[in-house]
Amino acid sequence: MLQGFILGIASGTACLAYCAPVLVPVLLGEGKNIQRNYVILGQYLGGRLCGYLLFALLAWAVRFPLSGLQDRELVFGVVYVVLALFLVYYGLFNHRALCAGQIIEQRPIKRFSNRLPPMPLVFGFLSGVTLCPPFLLAFTEAADKVAVWQSLLVFFTFFLGTSLYFLPIPLVGAFNRFDALQKVGKLAAVVVAVYYLYAGLIKIAGGVIVS
Amino acid sequence: MSRLKSVLAYTAAVLALLIALATFTGMDSFGRKLVSVTGIKVSPWMIGGEVVSVIEHEGYQTVIHRPVFDGLFSERKKGMLQIDWTPQQGLPARVDELIDFDRDGKDDFHIVLNPESNKAGLEAINPRVVSIEGCYTLKDGRAARLSLYHD
Amino acid sequence: MSVFSPRPEMPAPSTARGIVRAVLLTLPMLLLIAMMMTQGELPKDSLTRAVTAITYALLGAVFFLMVYKKETYKYRAALFTIVAVCFSIAFIANLVEMRGSMAVSRADMLAGETPFCHLVIPMVIIPAAFTRTIIFPGSLLEGFANIASMLILWLGASLALGRGWCSWVCFFGGFDEGFSRLRKKALIKKIAPVWTYLPWAVLLTLALISALTLSPFYCEWLCPFKAVTEFEQITSFKILLQTIIFASLFILLVVILPLLTRRRTQCGLFCPFAAFQSLANKINIFDLRIDTEKCKNCRLCVKDCPTFSLDENSVGRGKTLMSCTKCGKCVDICPQRAVTYHIKGTPVAVGSDTARILFLYPAFIFMSAIGGSMIVSALTRIFKLIATGSMIG
Ligand code: SF4
Ligand code: SF4
Repeated sequence: MLQGFILGIASGTACLAYCAPVLVPVLLGEGKNIQRNYVILGQYLGGRLCGYLLFALLAWAVRFPLSGLQDRELVFGVVYVVLALFLVYYGLFNHRALCAGQIIEQRPIKRFSNRLPPMPLVFGFLSGVTLCPPFLLAFTEAADKVAVWQSLLVFFTFFLGTSLYFLPIPLVGAFNRFDALQKVGKLAAVVVAVYYLYAGLIKIAGGVIVS
Repeated sequence: MSRLKSVLAYTAAVLALLIALATFTGMDSFGRKLVSVTGIKVSPWMIGGEVVSVIEHEGYQTVIHRPVFDGLFSERKKGMLQIDWTPQQGLPARVDELIDFDRDGKDDFHIVLNPESNKAGLEAINPRVVSIEGCYTLKDGRAARLSLYHD
Repeated sequence: MSVFSPRPEMPAPSTARGIVRAVLLTLPMLLLIAMMMTQGELPKDSLTRAVTAITYALLGAVFFLMVYKKETYKYRAALFTIVAVCFSIAFIANLVEMRGSMAVSRADMLAGETPFCHLVIPMVIIPAAFTRTIIFPGSLLEGFANIASMLILWLGASLALGRGWCSWVCFFGGFDEGFSRLRKKALIKKIAPVWTYLPWAVLLTLALISALTLSPFYCEWLCPFKAVTEFEQITSFKILLQTIIFASLFILLVVILPLLTRRRTQCGLFCPFAAFQSLANKINIFDLRIDTEKCKNCRLCVKDCPTFSLDENSVGRGKTLMSCTKCGKCVDICPQRAVTYHIKGTPVAVGSDTARILFLYPAFIFMSAIGGSMIVSALTRIFKLIATGSMIG
């Protein structure tokens, strides 16, 4: 149990660095105050936890199914692309928060967004399953465990360790009186999306070529 | 009060002219000061880590750089090692070497380089050595970068 | 009174007094430019001497006209464009002479010999703060455009001019300025205001990604000005893709959109350095102010500002937005002469010509110190081309 937590503490800065390009635009884009930002962070981390635990189950059930390099590249590439699509949706279409200038007509999208879970949760989930390399370490740890609860526990404690580093980020809410930052956050989500789209497509191409 | 403010403001405006002049006349010395005061360096990810050992051969030398794991806040799990072979005209048709990059007395990998085609082959002995990232032409020699895992 | 009636308080430049005043104000500048261009020593060969004299005359004439005509924009814009073109000619010719091509090889990068440019500054700051290293394959103190001297240049210009950098110092800005002035009328008149936040979004993203990857992401992937300076040799699919991206961005943001909109779209809608440099306007003593009593709200300045630095709210408040590059266009086109250069802390519309002159001095020193050497070097290459059929050698 302690093992996962220590691993989390040791890798937290790396996790933070990997998550910041997604989390910071989202927190700015929501334009909430510090307290509300902690709620959003909670949603994000909740999503991330779901991602971790899902993989813990997988790790235990199928004994490290993604051991082959090409499979891993393919799966993570696809998740990157999905993440990119959600980021574009968030930046340009999401009607729940102010859109980037209402650039695009939103009616058909409105119904779609009503059915979605909160966006920070979605981003947390997608980041949780792919973005940080330390996550792969925890994954290997968890795959060694005999019982499912041990596997889950490693991930949960790993999650707790890394989450400590996220606590200062909601302080960006101190600047929420600047409306402009909300627009900047939304547009930044789109720019980040372009990056992940590229990274995802390259990973997929790499995976396909190797396999 | 507002008069004092105006006087200060005009003084600052004249100061802008002095700053412009000082920027050009003192550029070199200010630059050197900036580097020495801040202690900044060029990132080892860009130009390779510091040189840690040099192996002399007949006609050329193998230069081993510090393995680079430097991250933003802490060390990264995956890093890079740069090896140079120099000078260019002293290089044999085939460089074939066993290298102990961590200087623990045990060879870590076996590398074979064809300086002509700039292609290299790697056989890892230490499990920390992952693969060849690329081979590059230097001003006067060849270089290879290897990816490594942290221990 | 119609808003398009003749400008009040129009200067009377034709008077002898006007000329004497302009000459007196130009003389110190001529002295300063001479000092900076020659550094106390005349060039040895006759070609360089002649070219230096031409450049000196050009710079002197531009400054004189700015002072005498009491107009800033059109003279500045013309010189700014000349500087950008000359920079490109001199830079590329130099590269071809030294390396044989515009492409920067891995060897140059591993040797830390890539010239450092200011556009990368916002991306190196976070890594420099945490790791005390500069994530750019340049040289700290040696050679042309080394990291330390470019940082000093940027610090000095930021203190003296704020974001005035983007209209007086940047050797790239002249490209989109030049293209934005080629057509008489804009074909695209309306641009959604939200896009003016894009440089901030690009800045935020690139600063985070560069810190995360410890590499200068903007230089590698996006900088359009690689098309007119240097770019990485194409040795892989990734570099090919990077080349396609920067070339497309150059064509779109620096050529096509400025032609269609008559605005500096690269500088106003994309450049992350532009957003970053806007912060320097907060510490700089100069700004532009609008006398709300004189302003008739014709919105000419809003429509014509090259970098989208005015909107109706800001005009109502009598101020420009934070992104103002102090180019002087709004000052020159305002039919009411309501817009003026201003020194923070002094009353608005009092001594505005003094404020303008006090701004012009440091701004022109930067422009001529940077641009002068570029013009000299480009003209030398051009004369060489005429005489020998080649710019190189
Ligand atoms: S906005 Fe960017 S490219 Fe344009 S002038 Fe400023 S720094 Fe240069
Ligand atoms: S507000 Fe005026 S001075 Fe500032 S950039 Fe726009 S036109 Fe130029």
